[in-house]
Amino acid sequence: MALDRLYQQVILDHNRCPRHFGRLAGATHSARGRDGLCGDDILVELRVSEGRVKEAMFSGTACAITTASASMLMEWLAGRSAVAVEEAGERFRQLLGNASLPDDPVLGEINCLRAVGQFPARVRNARLPWQTVVKALSSKA
Amino acid sequence: MGSAAPVSVVGDGVRDPLDVMRLREQFPVLAREVHGKPLVYFDNAATVQRPLAVIEAMDDFYRRYNANVHRGVHQLSVEASEAFEQSREDVRRFLNAASEREIVFTRGTTEAVNLVANSYLQPRLKPGDEILITHMEHHANIVPWQMLCERTGAVLKVAPINQRGELMLDAMAEMISERTKLIGVVHVSNALGTVNPVAEVCALASPHGIPVLVDGAQATPHEVVDVQALGCDFYCLSAHKMYGPTGIGALWAREALLEDMPPWQGGGEMIQWVSFEGTTYNDIPHRFEAGTPNISGAIGLGAAIRWLEETGIERMKAHEQRLLKLATDKMTEIDGLTIIGQAAAKGPVISFTLDGVHPNDLGTIIDHHGVALRTGHHCAMPVMQFFGVPATARVSFAAYNLHAEIDVFLKGLEQARQMLA
Repeated sequence: MALDRLYQQVILDHNRCPRHFGRLAGATHSARGRDGLCGDDILVELRVSEGRVKEAMFSGTACAITTASASMLMEWLAGRSAVAVEEAGERFRQLLGNASLPDDPVLGEINCLRAVGQFPARVRNARLPWQTVVKALSSKA
Repeated sequence: MGSAAPVSVVGDGVRDPLDVMRLREQFPVLAREVHGKPLVYFDNAATVQRPLAVIEAMDDFYRRYNANVHRGVHQLSVEASEAFEQSREDVRRFLNAASEREIVFTRGTTEAVNLVANSYLQPRLKPGDEILITHMEHHANIVPWQMLCERTGAVLKVAPINQRGELMLDAMAEMISERTKLIGVVHVSNALGTVNPVAEVCALASPHGIPVLVDGAQATPHEVVDVQALGCDFYCLSAHKMYGPTGIGALWAREALLEDMPPWQGGGEMIQWVSFEGTTYNDIPHRFEAGTPNISGAIGLGAAIRWLEETGIERMKAHEQRLLKLATDKMTEIDGLTIIGQAAAKGPVISFTLDGVHPNDLGTIIDHHGVALRTGHHCAMPVMQFFGVPATARVSFAAYNLHAEIDVFLKGLEQARQMLA
């Protein structure tokens, strides 16, 4: 059933033990991502040098989908440029909206979050960390 | 009085208990399934479902006598105007207002509060004046006052609540001063369920001549409201919370206050005579109803009120209070579950958190059991901030809900816990 796809093991695992969770000392960029409707409130902190993300951390409180999405994204970010993040974020948005598209190899494990596309009310949760990272990259810490 | 059908529920101290199974037959939507499961609708504080009496009254208007009101001499317009004004009389009777001239149709509670903020209070405010509300207000009874404060230099004061989610009346009394120009208070909190002692708030305000506005959106489906007995000055309601349609509600205001209020929005209906040299305004309440009104909505609201009166608010309340007690008792036994809002007097609303399970995830999992509940901040973010939670899940009951539905909900809760906690 779709619910098992949404709360599949890998997503639950990222929710229980989020990677790169906590504050980042020496962050150069940061942004807060809030969803007033459901109460998600995360802080993304990045250390960027020579145009690429060296380290990424997130903190705050959020639902399982936002937490898992943020956790996977923080892992994925290492070594990426701002342009690459924006392109992948746009691709992720498209994949959430169209189940017939093939997985994007660039996104790796993040493709498993495409199950969220079957739950239109929850797509905003999957996307919030991406929007927050894009915001962080365009503003200084 | 009793009906021939079997009585499924015995109300507490109510002579003629509600026949819930027969009541349910009047709500077509309750027959549908969600994700292959019978619908369990526990999101009644957001909006209730509509009975056939309301759906058919609106359908009848469009099929038989759709016309504009107060405009034409032709038969259809006369019939539409009569039905529209009958609904105004229904609202008057429902609130025990002194005159139907005191009933202004609005889009709902939100517009009613904005009307009072703009037309009544704004001309009376000076910088440093104060508006006093409570910490448990819904955004509709916060933001219009904040906007008014920004425009006028007035100050918004917030009376505190305690950990049970009850208004601290003594503290509120101390916050009243000669600078207080209006008190706004919610009758029943949508986020906590708290039933506020509105008559006592009015008694505090009255010696100082301070008008009291009551946000009644959440009270009208569950409480018999008598604005004269409460002693308030403004009372706002939304039809869709009380078995009527969306997009319509009403403001009740004392006649003397309304007479003294300038129009807010301009247009047709609110005028007596228009020329480019100047315009004279219509009498109350029409002065506040610019443009073609929500005619079918008003007719639906009137039908909802007659349906509530026939069904019996006290009988419905007795049943809802039993559901509230049963659900509260069972939820209290669940480890890690915290009920937010434990006032002594509550409407049929239970806000809660479950350790390790975000309300959003809970809502999605429980939806797959066919259960509709609300998750999030319930348009009362300061309440969430007070209790230090980002969001809660909320179940809220209406007269058509069943004891067995609570068990379905609890089963979903258990699954959510197993999956996520």
